[in-house]
Formats: sequence, C-alpha cells, structure tokens
Amino acid sequence: MPFDPRFIARLIPALLEGAEVTVELSLLTMAICLVGGLPVALARSVRGPLAWLAGGYIQLVRNTPLLIQMYLVYFGLSMAGIPLSGFASGLLALCLQNCGYVAEIYRGGLQSVSLRQFEAGKALGMRRWTLYTTVILPQVVARVIPPLTNQAISIIKDTAQVAAIAVMDVMKVAQIWVESSANTYDVFLGVAIIYLCLTSLASLAGKLFERRLAFAQ
Amino acid sequence: MNTFAPLIKGYWYLLRGAGMTLLMAGAAVVPATICGILLALLQIFGTRALRSAVVAYLFVMRGIPLLVLLTFTYYLLPLTGIDLPAFWGVVMVLSLYYAAFMSEVFRAGILSLPQAQWDAARSLGMRRRLMLQIVIFPQALRLASPPFVNLCVNLIKATSLVSIVGLWELTMASREIVERTLAPFQIFLGAAGLYFCMCYALALYGRHLERRVLHGH
Repeated sequence: MPFDPRFIARLIPALLEGAEVTVELSLLTMAICLVGGLPVALARSVRGPLAWLAGGYIQLVRNTPLLIQMYLVYFGLSMAGIPLSGFASGLLALCLQNCGYVAEIYRGGLQSVSLRQFEAGKALGMRRWTLYTTVILPQVVARVIPPLTNQAISIIKDTAQVAAIAVMDVMKVAQIWVESSANTYDVFLGVAIIYLCLTSLASLAGKLFERRLAFAQ
Repeated sequence: MNTFAPLIKGYWYLLRGAGMTLLMAGAAVVPATICGILLALLQIFGTRALRSAVVAYLFVMRGIPLLVLLTFTYYLLPLTGIDLPAFWGVVMVLSLYYAAFMSEVFRAGILSLPQAQWDAARSLGMRRRLMLQIVIFPQALRLASPPFVNLCVNLIKATSLVSIVGLWELTMASREIVERTLAPFQIFLGAAGLYFCMCYALALYGRHLERRVLHGH
C-alpha cells in the first residue's frame, strides 16, 4: 500500500538518520577539498616535476570512476593491512576525487584574471602580497564560487555511492527499507525529497555567496 | 611477479567488461544527446509552460543522484508492468539523466553566440528554422563540443554504478574476479587502469577540441 501514513511515520526518522551521515560526509568532503585543492592547484601552476606530479594526480582521479576508487580504498587497503571503516574509506575516496576537480577550478579561476590586472598592480608599485590580497584573489574568489557550487552539488550526489561499501547513508537506509517493506514509492519519494532539499540548499548558499561577492566582478 | 598473477589471469574477462561499458555508454549517449538538444531548444524557444516544465525536469535530474534513479528504476520498473530488459532500462535512465546535463551544454553553446549572428540572419530574411539550421547550430555545436566530450567522460564513469543494480560491465566483472581470487587491490587497479585508458583518451580529444575552439577554426 503506497502512502500509508503509519509506514511513513516510521520511515521518516530512519531516512533522516541516514541523511545525517550524508550531510556529514558531504560537509567533510567539501571542507577538506576546499583546503586540499589549493596546494594541488599551486603545484600545478609552477614549472617543474611538481606540476607534472600534480597534473598526473588530477588526470588519474578525474578519469577513473569514484566507485572503483572506493573499492580500491575499502577492499584494497584492508588487504594491504590498513583496514579503514566504510565511512573513512568513502570519505578518503570522495576527497581524493574531488580535490582534483577543485584544484582545476582554482586554477581556472586564477587563469581567468587578466594579465593586465597584474601589470596594473605592479605599475602602481604594489608589493606582491598586497597585489594578490587586494586585487587578484578577490576576483578569483568571486569567479570560482559558481563552479564550486556545482562541485558541492555533485559531491552531495556522489556521497550516495558510499552505500556500496556498507555505510548507512540515506541511500543505504532506503535500499534496506525497500527490500524489507516493498513499499518502493514512499521510500523513493522520501529519498528524492531529501536529496533535492540538500542540493537546493547547496545551490542557494552558492547564490548567496555570489551576491555577497558581486562587487569583485 | 606473483602479486599480479590474478590480474594477468583475469585480464581477458576485464577487457570484455570494458567492452560492455563502452557499449552501454555508447547506447546511452545517442538518446541523451538528442533529448539534450530538444530540451535546450524547448528551454530557449518554448512557451512559458514548456519552459517551466523543462526547468522542473532539470531541477529534479540535477538534484537526485544517479544511483538513486538507477536503484529505484530497478525496483519500480517491474511494478509498472513495463517489460524492459535490464540493459535497456539502465540505458534509459542513463540517457534521461545525462540529457539534463547535455541540455545545459547545448543551451550555453546557443546562448553564447553573439546577438549579431541572430540579427544578421534575421536581416537576411531567414525564417527561424533556416536560421537555426545554417547559422546558429553549426557555430553552437562547435562551441558546445568540448564540454560535450567531458560529459561523455562522465557518462563512461557513471556506467560503473549499474554494477550496484546487478548489471554486468567492467566494475561488475572486476568484483566477480575479486570474489574468486581475493586480490582486490590488483584487480581494481587493473579496472581503474582500463577506465583511465577509455576516459583519458576521450578527455585528450576534448582538450584538442577546446584548443581548436579557442584559437579560431
């Protein structure tokens, strides 16, 4: 029986519990990648072997599926004697992949600032530090917000894959409930609404930031 | 080199899986592209009601993880009485999902043409259909080709998710070998390598296209 109120009353708390894990994973991944993307992007933009290394890393993580990376971390590392929990391996794989994407976003933002901005700053006699903090970086930040928002949305959606390595996120909870109750419509609607809410929140936050930083455009 | 013996023994099986992955992605990319172009046109030229319908579709598709859609199609399709082989069910979900992203790419391509192109075509007395056919489409498709190829890379990576709903392709093949040989690290590394070959080749082609778009035609 779809839309049985008593079933829904039991379903909602269970799904919300899973959603908590999803939110935790997403927020942790976003925070780690926002920081971790920076050194990768910097390494990529200097000349020498470091750039080669960073470029190789970015291509590797961007051109292999997240699911395979999760299996590699979860099953592979435990075989190699470093057993990680499902949550930790999911987080590690999510961070590995998304750091590559975020680094490319940073690099694109930095490259999009016109060379004339650097020259103008130097012509005004600015020190390097002043030039970067007052002229260049505000523009970079304003420009990377929209792609970062998209990345945040895709991180939220990617976290669903941790269900494959037995993490009790909202996806896994839903799978268990569908299999045990056969009430597919209710569970599907619940999961869809939860993910839509989370991704909408992320895009709303991105829009707010964007408006805040509109001065730098 | 006994460590990699399982991989060497299973490489033919993995290669067949990779073939299936390519087949699946190839089967999905055609309807996804057609639907994507249609959605983009509807969103630009459609009536208000059609436009909001497209926006609602994009909102739902972009806000829900592919894994959720795949899993629930797997459970729901038998309930609706539609008798579709699993392969085509999965291809349908993949193409409906990627159509949403394709439409964004094509819409951006069409809208990024300068207004002068439209004005010039109109001043020559062209009807909308002719204008689209010989002025707008050829240029917009060229602009849209690099992000389109990137989406194809994502599509190949996304096919790994169908292993969770039990379809056989590269990820499933590697999981089967792992269950037999208990060598997750080597096998998943091999699978990742195969995915990398497919995706990186495509990504290189995308970069080539991008350079061509940037530096004139």
